[in-house]
Amino acid sequence: MARAAPKPQANMGPPVPRYDGRAKVTGDARYPSDVPVASPAFAFLVTSAIAKGRIVRMDLAAAQAVPGVLDILTAEDTRELKHVKFAAGGAGASTSIQGLGPDIDHDGQIVAVVLADSFEAAREAAHKVDITYAAEEPAATFDATNAREESPEEVGERAKKLPKAGDAAAALASAEVTIDAQYATPAQHHNAIELFTTTALWSGDELTIYEPSQFVFGLKNNLAERLGIDAEQIRVVSPYVGGAFGSKAQMTPRTALIALAARRLGRPVKLVSTRDQAFTISTYRAETRHRIRMGARRDGRITAFIHEGWELTSRPDPYSVAGVEDSARMYGFGAVETRVTLVHADRNTPGFMRSPPVVPYIYALESAMDELALELGMDPVELRRANNSMRDATGKEWSSRSLMECYDEAAAAFGWKERTARPGSMRDGDWLIGWGCATAAYPTHLGPSAVRVRLTPAGEVRVQVAAHDIGTGLYTVLAQLAADELGVPLDMVRVELGDTALPPGIVAGGSVSTAATGSALVKACAAIRERLTAAPAQTTGGPSGNKLEDVFERLGIGAIEEYAEFIPEGGKPDAIASLYKGKPALGGGSHGEKLMYALGAEFVEVRVHALTREIRVPRIVGAFAAGRIMNTRTARSQLMGGMIWGISSALHEATEIDRRHARYINDNLADYLMPVNADIRDVEVILVPEEDSEVNPIGAKGLGELGNVGTAAAITNAVHHATGVRIRELPVRLEKLLG
Amino acid sequence: MTSDVQLATRPADVSARDRVDAAKNLVVSFVLNGKPLSVAVAPTELLADTLREGLGLTGTKVACGTGDCGTCTAILDGEAVRSCLMLTAMVAGKTVETIEGLAGESDIHPIQQAFIDTGAVQCGYCTPGMILAAKALLDENPKPSADDIKEAISGNLCRCTGYTKIIEAIDKVANAVA
Amino acid sequence: MRPFHYERAATPAAAVKMAGTTPMSPDQPSVATPVQYLAGGTNLLDMMKIDVMRPDRVVDINAIAETRHGGIEVSDDGMWLGALARMAEVAEHADVKHRFPVIAQSLTLAASQQLRNMASIGGNVLQRTRCPYYRDTSYAECNKRDPGSGCAALGGFNRMHAVLGTSKACIATYPGDFAQALIALDARVEITGAHGHRSMAFAELHRRPDDEPHMETRLAPGELITAFTIAALPWARRSKYLKIRDRESYEFALASAAVALDMDGDIVREARIALGGVATVPWRASAAEHEIQGKRLDERALAAAAEAAFADARVFEHNAFKIALGKRTLTRALRETAAMET
Repeated sequence: MARAAPKPQANMGPPVPRYDGRAKVTGDARYPSDVPVASPAFAFLVTSAIAKGRIVRMDLAAAQAVPGVLDILTAEDTRELKHVKFAAGGAGASTSIQGLGPDIDHDGQIVAVVLADSFEAAREAAHKVDITYAAEEPAATFDATNAREESPEEVGERAKKLPKAGDAAAALASAEVTIDAQYATPAQHHNAIELFTTTALWSGDELTIYEPSQFVFGLKNNLAERLGIDAEQIRVVSPYVGGAFGSKAQMTPRTALIALAARRLGRPVKLVSTRDQAFTISTYRAETRHRIRMGARRDGRITAFIHEGWELTSRPDPYSVAGVEDSARMYGFGAVETRVTLVHADRNTPGFMRSPPVVPYIYALESAMDELALELGMDPVELRRANNSMRDATGKEWSSRSLMECYDEAAAAFGWKERTARPGSMRDGDWLIGWGCATAAYPTHLGPSAVRVRLTPAGEVRVQVAAHDIGTGLYTVLAQLAADELGVPLDMVRVELGDTALPPGIVAGGSVSTAATGSALVKACAAIRERLTAAPAQTTGGPSGNKLEDVFERLGIGAIEEYAEFIPEGGKPDAIASLYKGKPALGGGSHGEKLMYALGAEFVEVRVHALTREIRVPRIVGAFAAGRIMNTRTARSQLMGGMIWGISSALHEATEIDRRHARYINDNLADYLMPVNADIRDVEVILVPEEDSEVNPIGAKGLGELGNVGTAAAITNAVHHATGVRIRELPVRLEKLLG
Repeated sequence: MTSDVQLATRPADVSARDRVDAAKNLVVSFVLNGKPLSVAVAPTELLADTLREGLGLTGTKVACGTGDCGTCTAILDGEAVRSCLMLTAMVAGKTVETIEGLAGESDIHPIQQAFIDTGAVQCGYCTPGMILAAKALLDENPKPSADDIKEAISGNLCRCTGYTKIIEAIDKVANAVA
Repeated sequence: MRPFHYERAATPAAAVKMAGTTPMSPDQPSVATPVQYLAGGTNLLDMMKIDVMRPDRVVDINAIAETRHGGIEVSDDGMWLGALARMAEVAEHADVKHRFPVIAQSLTLAASQQLRNMASIGGNVLQRTRCPYYRDTSYAECNKRDPGSGCAALGGFNRMHAVLGTSKACIATYPGDFAQALIALDARVEITGAHGHRSMAFAELHRRPDDEPHMETRLAPGELITAFTIAALPWARRSKYLKIRDRESYEFALASAAVALDMDGDIVREARIALGGVATVPWRASAAEHEIQGKRLDERALAAAAEAAFADARVFEHNAFKIALGKRTLTRALRETAAMET
């Protein structure tokens, strides 16, 4: 179908079908928990029922009496594990809270691990572990009396690194038109469909871990540190990942526990945690708050932009996304001031979730833009045009910027010119109709990668790198790239990913995989081509053709294998050595000499029932520019999936918290709402041609985290257009429209 | 009592039920992907676990364990069901189809091909369940409307999320069948 | 889940005999009944996995579906639904759709296709609440699970909780849809037990929480629902189930209304209204019925019915919206039902 695979335009690769498609549709693809191991013990986690306090007593008698129970690990048994330092960035543990007690620092903290012959026995015994707690009153979130907001000094220190230009306060005071609005976003959990699993298998001193991971080298090295063994003793295998969205980028406490349990038992151990545990044993998108003040001239030029953000985090860890870094650069603002304040509460440590900084911060920005457009009586698209600039307020230039091309293409496809501006002016029977739009943006990160490529005389190509296809399409685009670079048919290329036995790849985060791995691959392929051309033209009596086999014969070798390393411009020379040690270094975005972003424009129609106020999204159109598009089919999938995430974020997703207990309430897939098939109607993706030779050797900007940015604002803007009600706190639920 | 399930004798005294239950004291016979077989299971064992752990058929996934996500979908006597909310004992005498039984010897099923062609596969974890839900639908209703398709697979969550393409894929198969 | 003895019964009589009459004290919650019947298992096994239910014995009654009790019988007088009929079978039955639309709609709008294929209608009406504090045994306070322990939902996150029929002991919402449809059509439920057969108005089956939220129904220990009977009353054809929820499909109701009307021109001769998503039990809104009976269904009557339906509502921190939403849902359902072509 034409829609499934958009026709490539300039600077776009062909929409070849997914490399791993067949394995996935037949059930042959073995995700880590699918790998068979001989007579495994099954683990079940016991997690805390309080968020703050300590374990006074843990009675294991009833649990130990369950037939089939082999072992129960508690705090006492895990003293040998070393503490791994928290480090946001795709390496370090996702949380600094690694102990099994007796101190409890958040709801659902792992406090014991039950091991048994069968999963059901382990579960039964886990339910029979009897724990007495001394509970203290926890701080659940913002506004809790005992939450700790950072001091002005701490905030000031951070602000030194955040964007600032001119005198924003003065510009605001003298502006012709101003707005001052506050926004809030809720906690959200990744809820990748695949659960958090770990299988640990010791063979002598050698440990193999099967675990879905976005960064196998990070997991390998951090686990070694935690177990106190040499990293070379550990192999992490994760060829397929059933969705991750950031939740599988960092080592979480479970891995070392399962490895330890397997060593104690002398038997492989398999853990498949439960869905409710998934809410507390890994990370999540933390709730944020925003205040945006803008001043503008009557003609729409924004002269002052002040964006303050507040982010929730755990007690010990200063996890922050600080997306003012992006919001402040999106338009040619006159003067800019930004600030981010962290609030510490008794929660598990948050972490990356698809497009971490830009989802909340661009939502706030793009909502404010709509409010300003309304205040000015301007069309929202024209307000963006009036402030479109190749330079931000600090003077930094964009490497490429096709924002208005995206707006114009999406607006035309959507039929935006038919919109009547007055809220509530469009209606279809019982349904109020609203149209809204917003900008999508994602920084183009740069990262290092190694790769090994092998070519045989028969034209078989093997690409090996410990990078990760978490559903993104990396297998496919690497196969395509290798086929192109070496001039072989696509079906001659085999790609191996997700295994620390391979050369290290970058973390599957920051939408950096394609660019980093692809750049290394291009380098390796060039080296292979060079070796091929070095073949002597002809030797007497030897083969004379140009066929690959002949070339190899003339070279007198059986295969060519090239290992290549790619370090982005400006990257540290030891970037690959660091990668081997599980330390990724990501640059780019707004941090280099130029501003590098993939951009887009999204237009949505919402329908709100006039009486009962259900909100539906019958159509959404997004146009995106992201440099070179490697495969229009996988690109479309990523962007479309992103837009549906955006709809979900706007209308459905929120992790609800019991404020008395600081515990998550809707920790299952029936009550944590995300769209189902029936919610999704017409989703259109337009790929806008763009060339950018500055971002990286292959000229591709990451787009996996682009589609879900701005969508929520487009929807709240549309809801305002439909109803006249401005929702400044996500998600938009029908009760907010009952008025 | 049917002959497809052999039950252990019930102890006279409930308090003395001891631990016979923990043993695999039920022998359950059913037809799996066209082949009859018998498995010994504990009463508590769930079909999803028998398929995955007992029989190594890991195309069936478990991602919530509470019937909310659809990745454990299997086809039982022609109807899509949740294998994570079904005791293995309950399939005695019945016919079970899993994703492993879908492809023919030489070729994959048209629904599988359509999922590849429309780009309906991303991380792939929801894919087997989604395909089986679609197969159960098309076996019963070869010409479903778009709304029929959406409702039939609305119990299958895709987080990536490929809903539009999944619907395209199923629609493509429905419209290609003469 | 905790181990149990598994037995199978092929007839209601055999099932009842196997279950026996385990004596239960009045303060023993129904959730703790030591013998459970297993039909679709979609609710029971879920509850067992999360350790809320821990039966010693499970009597698998699926083989009863091979008997009359797995069937649907429609005659001029009405309809008899075997308790082992699956939700999907009833929802997709042509006569049910045509003559008792509210029944078919309430089932179609519930759960997902897979769950509807599995779940029996007898089990469906006994579906347990989704109250998160009830479902999570790590909360000590739950009068439904543990009589006298308190109610964590009262001061907790209670967006989904009830506004009608609540008590100081429990505000958990009855989660089902089909039960409201049964009430709207004056259905009766047939029950068999160690002491023989009996039947009662379906509306009597569920008990309001009052001081004993742990006693959820009027079923005695070991009793089994065998069938539902619905008379072909004049309002059955003009009946509708409207379910309002956050997403389009596969979600419990925020508010729902099962409405059946017997119209004489634009005058309501007889009305039946049951509300879902807003009450602790399947809720018959008799006061609202009274407001429109014998009247023209104009805006004033609609408003009066909506007011009457929620006159006794009591709200909590996060669910105050359910009054406004419930009223609007009822208004819309009445309007749409009155406009039906029959």
